[in-house]
Amino acid sequence: MKRYNILFGGKAGQGPNLITNLIGGALIKRGYYVFYARDYQSLIRGGHNFNVLTFSNEPVYSNDSKLDVIICMDEETEKIHQKDLKKDGFILKGSSDNMYYAGRIFKMLGMDLKELENALKELKNFENNMQAAKKGYEEEKNTLCETISSKKKLYFGSGTENIAIGAIDSGLDFYCAYPMTPSTPLLGELAGRQIEENFIVLELDSEISVIGAAIGTAITGAKAMVGTSGGGYDLMTEFVSMAGMAEIPLVIYLAQRPGPSTGLPTYTAQGDLNLARHSGHGEFIRTVFAPGDINECQELASQAFYFSQKYKIPSIVLNDKHLAESFYTSTEVPKLIHSEKTTFLRKYNSYEHGEDGIVTEDSEVVNQNVKKRFAKQEEIKKDAKKFTRYKILGDKDSSNMIVSWGSTKGAILDAMKDFEVQFLQIIYMDPFPEEIEEIIDGKNLILIENNATGQLGSLIREKTGVLISERNKILRYDGRPFLADELRGEIKRRLR
Amino acid sequence: MPEDKKKVNLFTSKKSTWCPMCPNFHILAGVKKFVEDEINSGKKKEDFAMVAGIGCHAKIFDYLDLQGLNTLHGRVPPVCMGLKIGNPNINVLGFSGDGDAYAEGMEHTIHAARYNSNWKYVIHNNQVFSLTIGQPTPTTEVGFKEKTTPLGVKMQPINPIKLMLSAGASFVARVFADVKQIDWVLKEAIKHRGFAFIEVLQPCIIFHEHAMKYKERLYSLEESGHDKTSMEQAMKKADEFDYNNANKIPIGVFYQVERPIFEDGFPQLKNLKNGLKGIKR
Repeated sequence: MKRYNILFGGKAGQGPNLITNLIGGALIKRGYYVFYARDYQSLIRGGHNFNVLTFSNEPVYSNDSKLDVIICMDEETEKIHQKDLKKDGFILKGSSDNMYYAGRIFKMLGMDLKELENALKELKNFENNMQAAKKGYEEEKNTLCETISSKKKLYFGSGTENIAIGAIDSGLDFYCAYPMTPSTPLLGELAGRQIEENFIVLELDSEISVIGAAIGTAITGAKAMVGTSGGGYDLMTEFVSMAGMAEIPLVIYLAQRPGPSTGLPTYTAQGDLNLARHSGHGEFIRTVFAPGDINECQELASQAFYFSQKYKIPSIVLNDKHLAESFYTSTEVPKLIHSEKTTFLRKYNSYEHGEDGIVTEDSEVVNQNVKKRFAKQEEIKKDAKKFTRYKILGDKDSSNMIVSWGSTKGAILDAMKDFEVQFLQIIYMDPFPEEIEEIIDGKNLILIENNATGQLGSLIREKTGVLISERNKILRYDGRPFLADELRGEIKRRLR
Repeated sequence: MPEDKKKVNLFTSKKSTWCPMCPNFHILAGVKKFVEDEINSGKKKEDFAMVAGIGCHAKIFDYLDLQGLNTLHGRVPPVCMGLKIGNPNINVLGFSGDGDAYAEGMEHTIHAARYNSNWKYVIHNNQVFSLTIGQPTPTTEVGFKEKTTPLGVKMQPINPIKLMLSAGASFVARVFADVKQIDWVLKEAIKHRGFAFIEVLQPCIIFHEHAMKYKERLYSLEESGHDKTSMEQAMKKADEFDYNNANKIPIGVFYQVERPIFEDGFPQLKNLKNGLKGIKR
């Protein structure tokens, strides 16, 4: 089945998200698979923002580079994107009103105006919106495709929404954050649900205060979680190390964006895998999980609470802007795990300490402590086996194997459809599933990552000894996600 | 009713490593007296928690048998606030040194005043980094010389009392490291609904011994007729001693005002018996 790509472009403030959600929601209701990603700049009004919505009869998890429809809410959009329009594609322009285009798109998709009317009734400014939408609907004469109607039950949501669902299901008591893209949407999502779900959401004056307060609540027994991105996480790491020493459970939502430094605040990257695995001074254990779709966002948020509570350690959920802020269609039902609260108020210490929580410098006690803390690592490794730590997707007999992690999963699944190739998705970064050595042995490995150095490749080398050749590394590091049609070509060139 | 007095043991078995005659012993004894009295008038040991930073002051965490966290350098205030969110019913005492509260953790001290969460902050100000053997802090006087500062300190010290007044602290006090003064000021602070900033002048007898002479310059704000509800008077009094000059040093409560506390802002925190842990879903 054909994939259709619609671009909604305009200035920040013109409401490209509203219309994308509206069209996406309508298509989902009809049983279409929908994916949309947001490309926006670090500004509030003006500039150039665009969303690309891809839909199909079959599952879609990514955008393509070639467009079927370009909606130009401003002149800039046409100038920038017309080079990407397919020969038989359409440019929609002539108004700056997003609802006018909603009407035109509904018509192009052969959908009833009544459906749009019902959707608009749930929004503000119904009268004005409906008037503009009706005008667009009546003016449009072209057809993109005749949409079908199926009874399929599909769920539409973002990575952020699903991290929130997983955390709330795990009994979240306290979420604390300092605003930093792309973790901020989770702060908003959870803040809006704190009263109905009975937990506390708090924004504090710095990432250091944030994690300090979270640890304060955690030692009273609360299930605490903090959220940030790379730069903010750098500030938190002294406390992450302390959680390792004092054995305090804490869940950390680390949503990546391109660095180093301030980097590209509103774009995507997978540059902080090494950071997540090695952050904090001294030696201590942690878990690091990387979801690749919205289902895994729920499941891994849930598993992060499970491991952090059971073993009293920091647990990191490593997300990125692309998965956090894109909207995906899902048919699966996530499997969430219940986590018991394990912590109560007593004496905790950032120093080496005895069982009474009082400081010690005694060499024998220190030796015992270090052994006791690291003994948990073996237990965690065993315990982790009951969860899905990696997935093998695609043609399991193929000698070609794509290896990747995190949000690149979407574009890979879409790009690999035409080839005999299998895909190994690593989900548990720590503890790492070392047995993959047997799976990757002798395969033509193709590494795909949204970073410049192939951090998963290095991790695989470290844990298994297997080296992935430089020519088989497909790396993208301009802050943009992989696009399925472009990635298809990159994979094809490396198949054996 | 002495027969009703519960036997409270607040000391741990940890042997003290403070220098003999250190004024920190007075602070420890004062805090102990205060908590004992609170327990004898109905509270339980479990109703208290303490947080300490890093430095000589923080050893108090090892000597007082109270639950809590010996946290990182400078990071006492956010942890104290976390404890109050996790369980608003416990009385939280934070302990910091001048390095903690005014150098590495200055931002937390200022925001703590602004947040007005209901916990009490005790700063052991000895005007020097002692545990790292004698470096200047933000409250060290001009001209101070030690191994790392052979040219003498050039920077003006900050005045923490003025800082806290302007940051909006709802309770600002200063005492000397003396058992009675500590016990008294904590009793005043616990009655105050909100954040209490308590600076304790605690001269280091090794690296800042000349400050022991402060004792001769102290006078009581209460006895001198100071109006602690007046910001104008509080500022004037705060100006008298700038941590540099040889002026008289006012001690007592500079300022006290009632305003909504941080915990009031969250309906989720109302009527919790056992803190967030007790929430039923």
